Amino acid sequence: MAELKKVKLTSSEGTEFIVDRKVAEKSVLLKNMLEDVGESDMAIPLPNVTGPILNKVIDYCTHHRDDPFVNQEDDSKKVSDDIDDWDAEFCKVDQGTLFELILSANYLDIKPLLDLTCKTVANMIKGKTPDEIRKTFNIINDFTPEEEEHVRKENEWCEER
Amino acid sequence: MSSEKLLPGRATKPNPLPSSSTSLAKAATIPSELILQIFKYVTSTADLKSCILVCKSWCRCGVELLWHKPVFTNNSSLIKLLITLSRSTQTFQYSLLIRRLNFSFLGEDISDQILARLSSCERLERLTLGGCRRLTDVGLLKLLEKADGLVALDVSDIENLTDSVVELVGERCRRLQGLNVSMCRKISDKGIMVVASKCRSLRRIKLSNCDNITDESVIVLAKNCPHLLELDLTNCNQITNKAIKPVFENCTQLRELRLACCAHLTDESFTRTTPSLFEQLRVLDLTSCALITDQTLFKIVHSAPKLRNLVLAKCGNITDEGVYHITRLGKHLHYLHLGHCNRITDHSITHLARHCTRLRYLDLACCNQLTDASVFELSNLPKLRRIGLVKCALITDQAIFALIENRVVAHTLERVHLSYCVNLTISAVLDLINFCYRLTHLSLTGVHAFLRPDVQRFCRPPPKEFTAHQRQVFCVFSGKGVKDLRAYLNNAFIGQQRGRITGGVGNTEDQVVQQPITTGADIEDSVISEAEGVGGDLSEGGEGDNDTGRDRGSNRHRGRTMNPDGDEGDVGI
Repeated sequence: MAELKKVKLTSSEGTEFIVDRKVAEKSVLLKNMLEDVGESDMAIPLPNVTGPILNKVIDYCTHHRDDPFVNQEDDSKKVSDDIDDWDAEFCKVDQGTLFELILSANYLDIKPLLDLTCKTVANMIKGKTPDEIRKTFNIINDFTPEEEEHVRKENEWCEER
Repeated sequence: MSSEKLLPGRATKPNPLPSSSTSLAKAATIPSELILQIFKYVTSTADLKSCILVCKSWCRCGVELLWHKPVFTNNSSLIKLLITLSRSTQTFQYSLLIRRLNFSFLGEDISDQILARLSSCERLERLTLGGCRRLTDVGLLKLLEKADGLVALDVSDIENLTDSVVELVGERCRRLQGLNVSMCRKISDKGIMVVASKCRSLRRIKLSNCDNITDESVIVLAKNCPHLLELDLTNCNQITNKAIKPVFENCTQLRELRLACCAHLTDESFTRTTPSLFEQLRVLDLTSCALITDQTLFKIVHSAPKLRNLVLAKCGNITDEGVYHITRLGKHLHYLHLGHCNRITDHSITHLARHCTRLRYLDLACCNQLTDASVFELSNLPKLRRIGLVKCALITDQAIFALIENRVVAHTLERVHLSYCVNLTISAVLDLINFCYRLTHLSLTGVHAFLRPDVQRFCRPPPKEFTAHQRQVFCVFSGKGVKDLRAYLNNAFIGQQRGRITGGVGNTEDQVVQQPITTGADIEDSVISEAEGVGGDLSEGGEGDNDTGRDRGSNRHRGRTMNPDGDEGDVGI
């Protein structure tokens, strides 16, 4: 029974995590690695993912282990208000963690987690002024006032879609 | 800020990955491809416009999305965009960000001058100009000068266009996959031949009403473009078997083939191929290909066993045998038009109803041999949304009763065409409209029983071009008209205490659970007082079959007819 097999993962600081193969395979990166390597007890090093983040990622993959794999590459309708309760709760983390999750989901190639975290950030942007967005995300404005005004003018034409 | 500084597009920031645990990622440090991912979920343009003012790296990502596919619903925003493009100093080279343009909403506001000002959009991939009728070759030639990467072009309904535009597209846009020149009546073989011989990855081409097109260019298309998915030759009335034969030999990927009004076509157009060679074919329109016979249908069903939409209106040679061939499509067939195929009889329609059980749309207009027997069978179709029986003059009230005997159609029927079914009575039709709560269209033109001012006031206005006589007999109800008619007739009939009336209610939100539907309550024997009617117990029973429903239904039914708003779901039985 392939899905009862365990897989060892090592975070950037060397912490070892043991997970069901089925859970690990939510990551397309790991799935491909495991297929290439075949049967092996060797731990897979994940130097780009810290222990706490890997822990969160495993939580997510465990909860969603039975979700069908959907290949929605050009899923044209992008909506950000379709987050279910568990996922919303999962994303109630500090901003640093949230962005780390985005990076890890991207690195590990877990599309639904990437979508979820990106939607969560998108929802934090909704309805805010540029200045409020900068404050929310602690971003420094590197435009001069003239440059900013220029860009604003150039894009004035955009209608609500 | 020069464009060099910002444009190198998605160049990522230096290693933002958390290689050490010292600091967590921040919005300001994550790579631009991920910012772009996030922005794809920022669906409001206003929010996106805020994002681009946040900082330079967000700006770079945001403008890419804002300019990718500019949307214009009015002229003034287009003018503003043109002003940005004409500025000598631009923060970005905006014209290169534009990949798709769709001006079909602006129609005649679009001029050649406007197109000329967009000629710097060298990376244009999709251009939709359908209905921009003021345009001429001049504007198009200017705009397409550098658009080598064009993948799809829609210039339908621009009558001024000539072959020079199509030739230029063929010469320059080798990656072209879609071309729509419908209604461009000046386009001829000369232009289409260039596209057909140069653009080998062509997938979709629409030439409807290009009546200069002859076999010559269609043959080149068939031979050079093996990836064709869609070919529309509607009203290209010079087309003969000579052109369609190679299409049927080479273009095995076809999904849609429209040959309506190619009146020269005969059975010879359609070769007997290996079985299922056209497995992808879903839509075939042979309207008014009056020379084809049952033989064509045999060959087509053999080659294309998964046809979903088949239009055979005015193919007058088709007989029951042809319909028997069609029934081999089984559950794949969803849409069938047999209007004016007046040799067809109840025999084949019975067979059709039993085999093609997923039919959603069926038109049998002017199949004047059909009787109630056909409708009895069709009433079993579980997904039937639209049924057309115009001028099936043998149809009687019994057919209507058969339709509503079957609970399933109550949940599905939306459009019913009964014009010139002269035998129908008001009470039967009222049964139908009470029963089919989804009904949004009902045509009863020329049905004497309905040609009275009190009923016709609910019908929609007749088309302008109709003569006085046509106006007199016109009787089509749609949308609110159906609801008003239902309400009025129910009241009128209750008042007169006569006729058969049915009450049909259903919960629109829940189709799976069968709603109790009362049918054919005969109220002649019971005097209905208003109090009784209003007080009708709506929660009572109702899960019984039609017969018991009928017995118990009268009470409920009266409750409903006292409030005949026609709003579905209001009465929550």
